[in-house]
Amino acid sequence: MLRDMRDKACIAGLGQTKQGKLPGLSADEIAIWAFKLALEDSGLRKEQIDGLMTQQSYGGAGDTLKIGRELGINPKIGTSVIATGAAGAAMVHYAAMVVNAGMANYVAVVYGTNQATNRNRFATGDPESASPFGMFNPGAFAAMNFRRRMALYGTTERQLGAVAVTQRKHAQMNPIAVLKDPLTIEDYLSSRYVIAPLHVYDFCHITDGGHCVIVTTPERARDLKQPPVIIMGMGRSDALQGLATPDEALMQRIQRQSATMVYEMSGVQPDDIDALYVQDAYTPAVLSALENYGFCREGEAGEFIQAGRIELGGELPVNLNGGQSSETYMVGWGHTADAIRQLRGACGPRQVKGAEIIQCTYSGGLFDHTLSTIFRRP
Amino acid sequence: MAGTYSKPLPQIDEVNRPFWEAARRRELYLQRCKDCRHVWYPAGTNCPKCLSTNFEWTAMSGRGTVWSFIVYHHCWHPGFQKDIPYNVAMIQLEEGPIVITNIVNVPNDSVKVGMPVKVVFEPATEQVTLFKFTPA
Repeated sequence: MLRDMRDKACIAGLGQTKQGKLPGLSADEIAIWAFKLALEDSGLRKEQIDGLMTQQSYGGAGDTLKIGRELGINPKIGTSVIATGAAGAAMVHYAAMVVNAGMANYVAVVYGTNQATNRNRFATGDPESASPFGMFNPGAFAAMNFRRRMALYGTTERQLGAVAVTQRKHAQMNPIAVLKDPLTIEDYLSSRYVIAPLHVYDFCHITDGGHCVIVTTPERARDLKQPPVIIMGMGRSDALQGLATPDEALMQRIQRQSATMVYEMSGVQPDDIDALYVQDAYTPAVLSALENYGFCREGEAGEFIQAGRIELGGELPVNLNGGQSSETYMVGWGHTADAIRQLRGACGPRQVKGAEIIQCTYSGGLFDHTLSTIFRRP
Repeated sequence: MAGTYSKPLPQIDEVNRPFWEAARRRELYLQRCKDCRHVWYPAGTNCPKCLSTNFEWTAMSGRGTVWSFIVYHHCWHPGFQKDIPYNVAMIQLEEGPIVITNIVNVPNDSVKVGMPVKVVFEPATEQVTLFKFTPA
């Protein structure tokens, strides 16, 4: 049954606005800009878009009714899905199902935010159980995860630093990336703590920006402008119980269920993956994904990421866009966009030579919703 | 004291009121299912294991271990400015549930994952007493 969905949907259009600070533009204006870019990229006309899925963003933006009105469309399906920071990836999955059910033919999934210009500090915490004790910012959960990882497996801050340092190297080859200053492991280790054991470079860099992808079937994509990027597999598992199931949620072991699903649907295994993109609101997410999706064994990710293994040219290049610590903080969208570009062979100096199959993994900052998508070249 | 307390206070409602009333009496009370004996936190309207609404508020032992902890060096709320660097910990209670709290009476660099701890109570205002933990 899962295998029935293999290779049945694809990305036919990609829109990515300028990233960083976009003063003067509302989040919805940025989303609409991304939509126009994706239309242009795909060669589709606005009138052909019969599905619209919008991701809600900071400050109440991303309302489907408002964006639909501004786009001037009455699609068959116009909706929004809530799945914390993994909502964009979730909507791509639903779009893949919708186009295969025949309920719509071309589904645009859009996201726009002006969270940097509007200075969202991510200062909230659960008002009953967390804020009274000073626990603010979703980075707290990643810091808890990494502290426990240090205790259980002996992983060190120096080992974790390889994520931020590697991602910065990748960002330096990415024209879209916002942070490109050189970063060494010594810079990392001497940087300030924000929430120890996490340093400032472990945190995503808050940016404005917008993204849009257009999902359709490979048959429909055949006549369009771009070579389709095929969705081979989708995985999903949600740790809705939060702290009541701390290993599944905080240590992200719920990802193992998403892994089983995505590998069964796609028919590939970790060994087949040419590059991995991990939605990394905080760098420890990379370690969890490597272990739970089967690239290394539990407790070994700290060692696995050393000596260039996750760099361009290494055994498993990870986050070639620079990740959310260096490229842009787009709740996983930058990763999806870069995976698409890799499979179109359009990544310039950071192109993974001969990349055929790329995996993306996603999770919200609170480690609740967990998704993965495996893409391939047509 | 009520006028000077500058940190966020817990939002107390009909569901969690017995928890905070117990804390004010310096007791740690959680809900326990009378049907399946499951204990849970934070407060809810039914047992998340068997969905029974037949539960009782029960005294916990107050003992637990540090599941993980973090140290804030950045201030997100002015009420905590003078505490920086301060710790926030996840404690796994002897009865099973995990609570978020602070570990007091110990330097941050002496806190360890797995360390045994016990509950203590700190009045925040006349109405609200917070539960904290200290090395056992």
